[in-house]
Amino acid sequence: MTSLIGSMISTLGATLKYRSLVGTANQASKVVALFSPEWTTVRFRFHADKVAKGPVPRRFGYEDKIFKGGLLPRTAYQDKRLPIPDYKPKNSWNEKRALFGQNDYIDILGPSNEITQKTLHPTQLLYNVPHWLRGVKGNEYQVLLRKRKFVQKEGYPITHPTKWAELNVRIKKLYKYLNTKTKSPFWKHA
Amino acid sequence: MLTATRPPLPIISSRKLAFPPKFKIPRQVWVSNMDTVEEEKLGLIDLHPEVFAERPRLDIIHENVRWQQLYRHVSYAHTKMSYEVRGGGRKPRPQKGSGRSRHGSIRSPIWVGGGVVHGPRSPKSYFYMLGFNARLNGLRSTLSAKLAQDDLQIVESLDIPTDDPKYLEALVEERGWGPSVLFVDDHDIMPLNITAASDAYGHYNLMPVYGLNVFSMLKHTTLVMTLSAVERLEERILFHLNRNDAAEATAKYKLSSV
Repeated sequence: MTSLIGSMISTLGATLKYRSLVGTANQASKVVALFSPEWTTVRFRFHADKVAKGPVPRRFGYEDKIFKGGLLPRTAYQDKRLPIPDYKPKNSWNEKRALFGQNDYIDILGPSNEITQKTLHPTQLLYNVPHWLRGVKGNEYQVLLRKRKFVQKEGYPITHPTKWAELNVRIKKLYKYLNTKTKSPFWKHA
Repeated sequence: MLTATRPPLPIISSRKLAFPPKFKIPRQVWVSNMDTVEEEKLGLIDLHPEVFAERPRLDIIHENVRWQQLYRHVSYAHTKMSYEVRGGGRKPRPQKGSGRSRHGSIRSPIWVGGGVVHGPRSPKSYFYMLGFNARLNGLRSTLSAKLAQDDLQIVESLDIPTDDPKYLEALVEERGWGPSVLFVDDHDIMPLNITAASDAYGHYNLMPVYGLNVFSMLKHTTLVMTLSAVERLEERILFHLNRNDAAEATAKYKLSSV
């Protein structure tokens, strides 16, 4: 017991120094009890003393993630670039982009026929759109019906027999689906 | 240094406006030359406020730009349905006995490589027609905005002395006309020199009056118009504003009408 107290006293050497004794102390006695109901021990440690003792544990309980995202480390001898496509900025001023929208207002700004007062309409200038689709808006069924009407006269059944068959099959399937499986207006489901 | 010989200035001093405005004052602009790199002001003309001094409506301009981009767009994205994908006619394995799940075809939508159920079906057109007046007012708003923001320049004509692209570049830079310039003339066949000079640059473009549109006017920083182009443009827009037989022109677009 005494050795334990002694070891405790030696480790708490600093504490004993600042222990303020409330109440009368027996100066003569050499062994001072650690506990007595007569006095209250104010036991504290200064942070400087803690630091002086050694490394103070920081962020206790924190788990350090080694990889936090971003580029992976590269070894010094790796001289090959990783494969990445070369960036080629688009040419905003090539002919197509520079003159985009030209003639869209030809029915307003263009000349009108003196007698009929008719002008060209922008839908007549949609050369890159299939001719049966110029100025046409519709769902798949409507568009396919129009395509069939136009394309049949141009020999499509002879020149593209498989596609012609597929077209007809698709129209038939859509007809059945729209008329048997849908109740709401057909343009909502097609 | 090229010096032009011309009669005493001002050459153009007045311009009679069609449908003279009653309660709005005409806007005045300088008329410059293209003969020399340095700007020479040849005169001052009036512009009709109904065309060039309308309060710019940003929502109408936006509508017009959106229409121009969309009405010619056709989506060719296409996916095959189950019955269109090659193969898949045979039942992969008997209904019962194998211990595995039951299937009727290897091209059903739940299979990898199978058909897509409600996928895009080509061709899909995004065509729609913006109202006549919406497009007319889009032109007026854009022209007014261009004038108000000092991006509208009037020149006498597009005749330049050389076909050297450097001359045109120097001219544009000297006068502080923007990085991109749209030259508008009345006739669609432009003078040879300016055609050759602007051919070298993608950002200097030539356009006839009938080709003018909101998108191009916004894409190019500066709009340079000739006097004859201004005359033609005003005549066309004022005609449509003041006509009394616009029922057919402003009617809803019908495929059979074109």
